[in-house]
Amino acid sequence: MSPLKITTRDTATGPVLAILGDLDYAHAGELRELLTTLTLRPGQRLVLDLAGMDFCDSSGITALIAAHHHAQAAHADIALAAVPANTLRILRIVGLDQIFPLHPDTESAARSTRPSR
Amino acid sequence: MCRTGRQTDPADPHPDTRSDTDPATDTDACTDADAGTDADADADADSGKASNAAFAALLEDSAEDLYESAPCGYLSMLMDGTVAKINTTLLDWLGLDREAVVGRMRFTDLLTVGGKLYHETHFAPLLRMQGRIGGIALEMKQADGARIPVLVSSVVKYGGGGEPLLIRTTVFDARDRRAYEEELLRGRKAAEEARRQAEADRARLQEALAVLQQSLLPATLPPVPGMETAAHYCTASPDRLGGDFYDVFPVDGKRFAFFLGDVCGKGPQAAAVTSLTRYTLRAAALHDSEPVAALSTLNKVLHERYSAGGDPRYCTAVFGVLEPDPATGQVTVRIASGGHPPALVLRADGTADFLPTPGGLLVGVLPDARFVAATTVLAPGDTLLLYTDGLTEARTGEDRDTLYGDEALRAFAAKHAGRRPQAVVQALTGLLDEFGDGLDDDTALLALGVPALDDDTAAYPTPDPDPATKSTR
Repeated sequence: MSPLKITTRDTATGPVLAILGDLDYAHAGELRELLTTLTLRPGQRLVLDLAGMDFCDSSGITALIAAHHHAQAAHADIALAAVPANTLRILRIVGLDQIFPLHPDTESAARSTRPSR
Repeated sequence: MCRTGRQTDPADPHPDTRSDTDPATDTDACTDADAGTDADADADADSGKASNAAFAALLEDSAEDLYESAPCGYLSMLMDGTVAKINTTLLDWLGLDREAVVGRMRFTDLLTVGGKLYHETHFAPLLRMQGRIGGIALEMKQADGARIPVLVSSVVKYGGGGEPLLIRTTVFDARDRRAYEEELLRGRKAAEEARRQAEADRARLQEALAVLQQSLLPATLPPVPGMETAAHYCTASPDRLGGDFYDVFPVDGKRFAFFLGDVCGKGPQAAAVTSLTRYTLRAAALHDSEPVAALSTLNKVLHERYSAGGDPRYCTAVFGVLEPDPATGQVTVRIASGGHPPALVLRADGTADFLPTPGGLLVGVLPDARFVAATTVLAPGDTLLLYTDGLTEARTGEDRDTLYGDEALRAFAAKHAGRRPQAVVQALTGLLDEFGDGLDDDTALLALGVPALDDDTAAYPTPDPDPATKSTR
C-alpha cells in the first residue's frame, strides 16, 4: 500500500497528470476530486502519466473513466501514457483500450494528434 | 469543642436540667489555658482572647438549640420503642406535635408499613444483637400521609451493669438522595430501552438486508431441459453486499437465457446497480434475447441512470442464450460480453478453451458501447463455465503477489473437463478455499453443461438441479 500522489504540469497541448502510487478504492477519490478543479479548454489533451502508478483496482478504473468523461465534456481529448502491464491487461479485458489512446510515454502522448480509436 | 466532655446528653430521657451552656465560662477556660502556655505574648493573647470569644459565641449556641434545630432528626426511645425524646427538626419533617409523640408513640408508629416491616425483621434484631446499627434506609410517614425516605442510625445506651437503658437514634433526610437514585434508575432504564430499541432496529435492518440480498441472486436455478446447471457465489467479506451476479431463466418455450457479471464497487450502491442490472437484463431478454441487444439495453439503462451524476457506475457482464436441440442433445450457445473475462468451454475430450469475445466494452461507460458476440455448440459432456475476475485476480504464491491468472484457470478447468457442471463448480470452490486470504474480491461461478450420453445419472431431461450453492469466507 503506497499513498497516492498526483502532480500536475501544463504543457503546450494541455495538462499532464502524473499519478504515483495506488489508484485504488482508498485513493481514487483524490483523482476524481482533482479532475473537478482541472480546467480543460476545447481541443486540449489531458494526459494521465501512469508510469509511477503501482496499483489500479476497479475504483481506479472508475476514476480513469471519470477523467475520460471530464475531458469529453470539455470537448478535449484524453490519453494514457506508460500504462503498467497489469493495468493494461485489465484495460484490454474491459475494452477500455478502445476508448483511451495508449502511449508509451507522455511525450508521444502529448505529441500525437487526434487519437486513433 | 473543648466542652464535649461536659456536655449534657441531649438524648437522655432524664436530662440534667442544670444549664451548662454559658459561653463565657467556656471561653474563659480556654483562654486561661492559652495564657498559661504563652505568658510573654500578652498583646497577642489579648487580641486572640477577643476573637476566640467571638468565635466561640458563634459556635457555642446552646446544646439544647443544637439538639432541637440540628440538620438531622434526633430521637431517643425506651427499649420497648416508646419515644422518650424527639427534636424539633424531626417533628417538623413529620408534621407532628411533641405532645402527640413523646410517651405516646413508638418509633415504629412513625414508619410506613414497609418501614415497620423492615424495622421488625432487620433493624431491631440487628440493633439488639450489635448494640448499634448505621445508615439503614427506612421510610417514615408524615402526618399528611406522605413518605420521607430517611437513613437511620441507632446506638443502645447501656447502664453501669451493662443493661440496655435506651436507644439513641439519628435520622437523616434522604429525599435528595432518593431523588438522585431515582434519576440514576430512570437513566439506566432509558439507556436499556435505547439499547433494546437499537437491537430491534439492527435485527430489522439485517432482515431487510437479507431480503435485498436474496433479490440479487436466484435462490435456485430453474431446470433447463437437456442441461445441468451449477452455480456458486463466494463473498470476500460477509458484511459486504455482493457486487457479482448471475441468473438463468426461460425466455420462451425452448430457449433459456443466462448471465453473469460483476458490478464495480462494493456496498449498498453497488448492490443497487446489481439489482438494476439483473432485472434490466431479464426484461431486455424477454423483449429481444439476442445477446448483443440485451447488453445494449443494459448499457443504455446504466449510462442514462448513472452518467449524469458525475458518479459513473458500470458493470462487466456475459449474457447468453441456450437453445437445446432435443434431436441431437446438443445445445447452441450464443454469448456476448461487455468487458467481462472470456467464458471457458470444457469439452468432453478433456480440453478447455476460452470462448473469445474480445473488444466488448464495460457496460454503462459510453452511451453507445460495442459488444461482441460468439457462438459455440455444447455437445454431450461439454460444459460452459462463466466466472468473475475474483477467481483469476486471486493472489497466489507465498507472498500473495502473483495473480492466479487466465492460463492457470484454463489448465485447472482442463483437468476437470468432461465432468458434470456440479463437479466442476465443486472443484473450483475447493480452489477458492485454497486461495484463503488471497481472494480479495467476490467470486461468482456459473456452469452450464450437457450431460454425457453414457452418464446414466443425468438422464434427459434432467431432474431438478441442485440449488445454487453460496458460501462466505
